[in-house]
Amino acid sequence: MAVKHTKKLFVKALEKKFATEVKTIGSKDAKLEGQTTSYLRLGPEQNARKREFMEAAAKLSGKRGMTGYNPYVHAGGIPLGQRQLVPYKLSGTEYVVEGDDLHFVNNPAMQQMWDDVRRTIVVGLDMAHEVLQKRLGKEVTPETINNYLEILNHAMPGAAVVQEHMVETHPALVDDCNVRVFTGDDALADEIDDQYLINIDKMFPAEQAEALKAAIGKTSWQAIHVPTIVVRSCDGGTTSRWSAMQLCMTFIDAYNMCAGEAAVADLAYAAKHAAVLQMSEMLPARRARGPNNPGGLSFGFLADMVQTSRVAAADPVKVSLNVVAAGAMLYDQIWLGSYMSGGVGFTQYATAAYTNDVLDDFCYYGADFAADKFGGFAKAPALLDTAKELATEVNAYGMEQYEAFPTLLEDHFGGSQRASVLAAASAITAAIATGHSQVGLAGWYLSMLLHKEGWGRLGFFGYDLQDQCGPTNVFSYQSDEGNPLELRGANYPNYAMNVGHQGEYAGISSAAHAGRMDAFAINPLIKVTFANPGLVFDWADVRACFGKGGAREFRAAGDRSLVMPAV
Amino acid sequence: MAYTPQFYPGSTSVGINRRKHMSGNLEKLRDIPEADVVAIMGHRAPGADYSSTHPPLKEMGEPDCPIRQIVAPTAGAAAGDRVRYSQWTDSMYFAPSIPYWRSYWGAINCKGCDPGTLSGRQIIEARERDIEAYTKAQYDSEMTDVALCSMRGCTVHGHSLRLEENGMQFDMLARTEMGKDGNVYGVKDQVGIPLDKKVNLGKPMSEAEAKKRTTIFRVDGVQMCGTVGARKYDEAVEALHHMWELRSKWGYRPE
Repeated sequence: MAVKHTKKLFVKALEKKFATEVKTIGSKDAKLEGQTTSYLRLGPEQNARKREFMEAAAKLSGKRGMTGYNPYVHAGGIPLGQRQLVPYKLSGTEYVVEGDDLHFVNNPAMQQMWDDVRRTIVVGLDMAHEVLQKRLGKEVTPETINNYLEILNHAMPGAAVVQEHMVETHPALVDDCNVRVFTGDDALADEIDDQYLINIDKMFPAEQAEALKAAIGKTSWQAIHVPTIVVRSCDGGTTSRWSAMQLCMTFIDAYNMCAGEAAVADLAYAAKHAAVLQMSEMLPARRARGPNNPGGLSFGFLADMVQTSRVAAADPVKVSLNVVAAGAMLYDQIWLGSYMSGGVGFTQYATAAYTNDVLDDFCYYGADFAADKFGGFAKAPALLDTAKELATEVNAYGMEQYEAFPTLLEDHFGGSQRASVLAAASAITAAIATGHSQVGLAGWYLSMLLHKEGWGRLGFFGYDLQDQCGPTNVFSYQSDEGNPLELRGANYPNYAMNVGHQGEYAGISSAAHAGRMDAFAINPLIKVTFANPGLVFDWADVRACFGKGGAREFRAAGDRSLVMPAV
Repeated sequence: MAYTPQFYPGSTSVGINRRKHMSGNLEKLRDIPEADVVAIMGHRAPGADYSSTHPPLKEMGEPDCPIRQIVAPTAGAAAGDRVRYSQWTDSMYFAPSIPYWRSYWGAINCKGCDPGTLSGRQIIEARERDIEAYTKAQYDSEMTDVALCSMRGCTVHGHSLRLEENGMQFDMLARTEMGKDGNVYGVKDQVGIPLDKKVNLGKPMSEAEAKKRTTIFRVDGVQMCGTVGARKYDEAVEALHHMWELRSKWGYRPE
């Protein structure tokens, strides 16, 4: 039997997490494998961040003139901290932060990640150029394009280009705004000023660059990132409007057009509709969100936004798990946890997928097992039998670790956390092994059923539907549920309810292509757009960026302090 | 020939215990007084009248309905009781029952109840006098060990946490405590309101007895899949693989 990886990567994190307990209890026998402990019930004072919260609340209470944060109203006077309040290690990094630091309200990097999605729009240049050339008879050359891009990078942040006596935005408030272009046409790319170009050859490994350029062809595109502060004041639906207005004004300036001529309408239509790629689809009325909001973001698009695939292509697990982290934060903590639900519970559940190296350990075990068995990644036959063998093995391995390390079980104290981690590891393994996301998804559901069978418990009530009935939608051709996983998203019929799923589904989508070492999962335009070095969030190392945010080392865009009195 | 339900596969103690829970053919281990069960549930004071949401069915002039003629109402429904609950938290360290098996027990054996299953708790809702009877049945039977299982309406945290050094399941609200006499006492009701008097729930199971009566598969007990490098699937896994495969294929319907 193939068994290679039993590194138990989570042990190091557990030792860090429970170090204070060992020190406090003072027992030389205290160990991660022990099934009993002393609960010291030290309350919130045991934790640095809770102490900070209480001190801040005490200062604010006089200023506010009313009560606020007070952990002693919890559970009729019994506060948090009856067990040890342990810190969290960001998986694959050395960052150790408090749990509170992983709520997006407290973590500017997490906010920026979402801001970077909703402030982005991809707009084709070719349709506008055709209008200029064929309808207006104007000349479009690399020189005119470079001139246009210079004007555009003045206008897009919110500056005037053809009108007099206009208000403008302060450049230091919108300095994160930028527009770069990319193309599969090497000759055109050579002519574009470097500062305005996303250089595919430079940003991607050679094989990926060739694949991307072949997919993009001779077309040319603008990767537009409007100011963070704009989408924080408005929303993702604003992005196409903001960018379209500035694009049209820039065309008028750059190509000496009449501001009122009918051709401007063609440019506006191209910029708003015909040549636009939104990051996410608009949702139905009952969810009432415009385009570029997280509920319409497909798993494949998120897989392509994350850039780990171009810096660590040989490590498909790492690629997949950075996508999982991005998705767990965006879909669970922000979309389901706040847009759809509200509160703080979703963060606690979501962190299991990207902290303490647990999912990493289970996935590397699975990937090694599969590689030994099938001779490499994406070599296994894309069959139910493959999903059965791999998901059963990986799920059993994971359950065994939870049983052998009670501190690990305690760390993932909610069944939903364990369910998501076990199923994600099973599915990512099956997807990497076969290069097929649907086989991965089949592994997901088998893991859920095995987990429930072994321990007689799974997740929230909703897991009964989403996961126990889920196998039927893996290969479904039904009109509303028949998409390949890459094209499904947060609003897919059975997926719109439970924490601990959507980020993992994005990870499975990524895993299939990471196993195949594909340049992209579903859309080359998205992959190249998020390679833009001008983005504020580091899309190549999602988990480290979250760690920086938690450690208060990350500087987000959209800061208003420049125009407010100092605190 | 009369049909005999099979309930569950497997010849291990876990398989056998799961069948016992589902069939309702359970051993009675203790006899907690009804008044004490009612006090811990916390919905009404022991001896107090039941609150009702409608008059007794006999006084309501029910419509002529074939279903009503077939199905006799439970005592609580007949009296018009409100719907109340009991919720259990079972430790993963060999508690006798586990959430789905409490639900299966309820769904198969208890009329007029609504089980709900999560990872850290399992709730059954029913008319008040019915749920009191169902709760007492669970408390008294081998489904429950008083150290590894407890009733928790809220703040249920504990099923996956390490045990206290005295073998008790962690409870943030400390609703039960180990007495110096070795008995476990209930000191707060389901939602953590202190009881007027402690309720003696009796002695906990030994570790060996808990392992004998448990329904959970674990690598340090009855294994479901063997261990790394030495896989051996329980019959339950074979059955589950079959079900998963059929369920997956059923969804493939290109017509």
